[in-house]
Amino acid sequence: MPNIRDSSNVSFCRLSPSTALSKSVSLGGTDSLKLLLTTTDGKKAKRPHQAFLTLTDPTTGLEESFIFNVKESGKAKVDLTQKDLPHQFLTSSKPISASIVIASFGASEPYKSKVFDLDIARDPNVPLAVPEKPVRYAAEQEIHHVFREGPRSPPKIITLVFAAAVLGALPVLFGVWLTLGANADHVGKALGGAPISHALFYGSVIAMEGIFFLYYTSWNLFQTLPAAAVVGAVAFLSGSRALSEVQERRLAGLR
Amino acid sequence: MRGLFSFLLFALLGAVQAASYTGSRLLVVLEDESEREKYSVLLEDLTARGYHTTIESPKSESLSLFKHGERGYDHVILLPAKSKGLGPALTANNFLDFLKKEGNVIVALSSEYATPTAVQSLLLELDIHIPSDKGALVVDHFNYDSASASEKHDVLLLPYPAALKPDLKNYFGGDGFIAFPRAVGQTLGNESPLTAPILRAPSTAYSYNPKDEADVVEDPFAVGTQLNLVSALQARNSARLTVVGSAESLQNKWFAEKATLAGKAVKTENRDFAKKLTAWTFKETGVLKVGKFVHYLDDGVSKRINTSAAIPEHNPTIYRIKNDVHFAVEISEYSYDHLTPFVPAPSDAVQLEFSMLSPFHRLNLTPISHTANATLFGVSFKTPDQHGIFNFYINYRRPFLTNIEEKRQVTVRHFAHDEWPRSWQISAAWVWIAGIGVTVAGWLAFVAVWLYSAPTMERSGKKTQ
Repeated sequence: MPNIRDSSNVSFCRLSPSTALSKSVSLGGTDSLKLLLTTTDGKKAKRPHQAFLTLTDPTTGLEESFIFNVKESGKAKVDLTQKDLPHQFLTSSKPISASIVIASFGASEPYKSKVFDLDIARDPNVPLAVPEKPVRYAAEQEIHHVFREGPRSPPKIITLVFAAAVLGALPVLFGVWLTLGANADHVGKALGGAPISHALFYGSVIAMEGIFFLYYTSWNLFQTLPAAAVVGAVAFLSGSRALSEVQERRLAGLR
Repeated sequence: MRGLFSFLLFALLGAVQAASYTGSRLLVVLEDESEREKYSVLLEDLTARGYHTTIESPKSESLSLFKHGERGYDHVILLPAKSKGLGPALTANNFLDFLKKEGNVIVALSSEYATPTAVQSLLLELDIHIPSDKGALVVDHFNYDSASASEKHDVLLLPYPAALKPDLKNYFGGDGFIAFPRAVGQTLGNESPLTAPILRAPSTAYSYNPKDEADVVEDPFAVGTQLNLVSALQARNSARLTVVGSAESLQNKWFAEKATLAGKAVKTENRDFAKKLTAWTFKETGVLKVGKFVHYLDDGVSKRINTSAAIPEHNPTIYRIKNDVHFAVEISEYSYDHLTPFVPAPSDAVQLEFSMLSPFHRLNLTPISHTANATLFGVSFKTPDQHGIFNFYINYRRPFLTNIEEKRQVTVRHFAHDEWPRSWQISAAWVWIAGIGVTVAGWLAFVAVWLYSAPTMERSGKKTQ
């Protein structure tokens, strides 16, 4: 009958060849697991060719077999500590299933059965040398580029309040000018004195602003510069006539 | 007459190409001419599939894997030989050079003969390990043929292998049992991604040497599923090498043999398995071919990705950052004698990398449409906000499939000065735009007032003083 002994707290378990232990066997960092059994062929004790303790990781299917040291009498023994186990078993989250395989040549009936679950209790303070995972060709993790955050504007309401304040400055300015006595009463007089020059001069000042507006919205520099040159020349020529008319008014004491 | 001639030529070419994607010249290295009879069905099957077989003895003077510096054959089957050496034409280096020239090799081992040193060092070079002692073989007391090996248990009867991993296609699957008499087991090194097991031994199997006097196995070469009966290597250039543990399994007598597994009568399917093995090794299956490789700017309506089967490969060389780009690639898989649409395994995906030194995007491609012999895979994405020289890069490497490595270089430029949003589209600029408007209106009013203002009473009084 197979016997199992956990020597640190010296606990014994009796294994059954037909059913697995209901409780899993725990193997700590300093523990060693000793499995003793006697192999029989029929009723007679006999030495088999193959006597393995096979551990299987239930998640990955990784297997590792440990070979029983079998005597002539059929008495077999295997010792197991955490040092003997590959690192995959030590880091496995689930208990590792342990089965015993006993078989030999000829017509003897082979035996394979799960005998217990091995629960590996690893001391987390003991560092474990896990080799780097070898390269295997498979689909890799997707990568999606993380875009830099775009420029942000302050809340529209704040913008609108300040824009309104700026726009509100214009009526305030006009109001102040009016209280200081600003007016345009001499338009008729000026147009009467030099009608073409005044119309062209003031028109060219407005046209220059229009050119700036077109430059802002749609024109390029090469459209803007000739137009500005034409309007500027008009302003220069008409301006000299218009401003002499203004000078005449000033000398006449009308400004 | 001429039409008939060219038709015949095409028919001939078709027959030549029917065998393998890479070529049909096959060299079978067989020492003993009398052994040829044992493999006659395998060789006839290969000839029927279009291979031009040359059978040479390793001792032959004229034997050479190369001709004028190029490979003289496309494929080699190396059958076990009695003599320990394979001669100067078949050294490990010659085989490696043959693999470098994209030749494919099947190495059949046998436990009856010692493995030649050239083969041993070749396999060692490829990180495939075999027992060093002559006669070591794989036994399994659970899955053996009780008709022919009731005492020794050294004729293994195994089902066809399942897919190695769920994300790999299975080129060796089937129904039934394969016999592996007196196989030499192999183990694979853990480091290389190029080697892969085709058929693993069952978990109760182990390798031992019957010449050992001990009646208990004490230090076996390998046990259980760590032991392979058939292993494969696919090099970076997609050259393939298959190690068959049991040359006997390729012999006529096991091709459709009656066997008994645990009291049940089964018929061995070795002939079909040998076909699958040779077909894979000699690139009749698992060969991928890239057709069109298209990328284009998504300009909204004119080109839709699902109609791009009709779009020729007019790939732009420049994109802007944050452009919407469509990408599509056609991939076919060669299957025995024709190209079929490539369908990856369910949990696998062909991936596109958009990379400058390292990938900025790595995206799974989805199949968009199928043609008669290709699948069109595609994906759309936005170019990253980083200018530079980028690659559309597909690097598809999977065990059992030939490697795909394709790239197209494009420039990703910055925004041009007139591609930025205009200032009125930016709400934060509205205050400044209003300021300019107010300045313009104020300036025009100021000019008018300066030009046309009439003096008020007090002012004029003051001025006249």
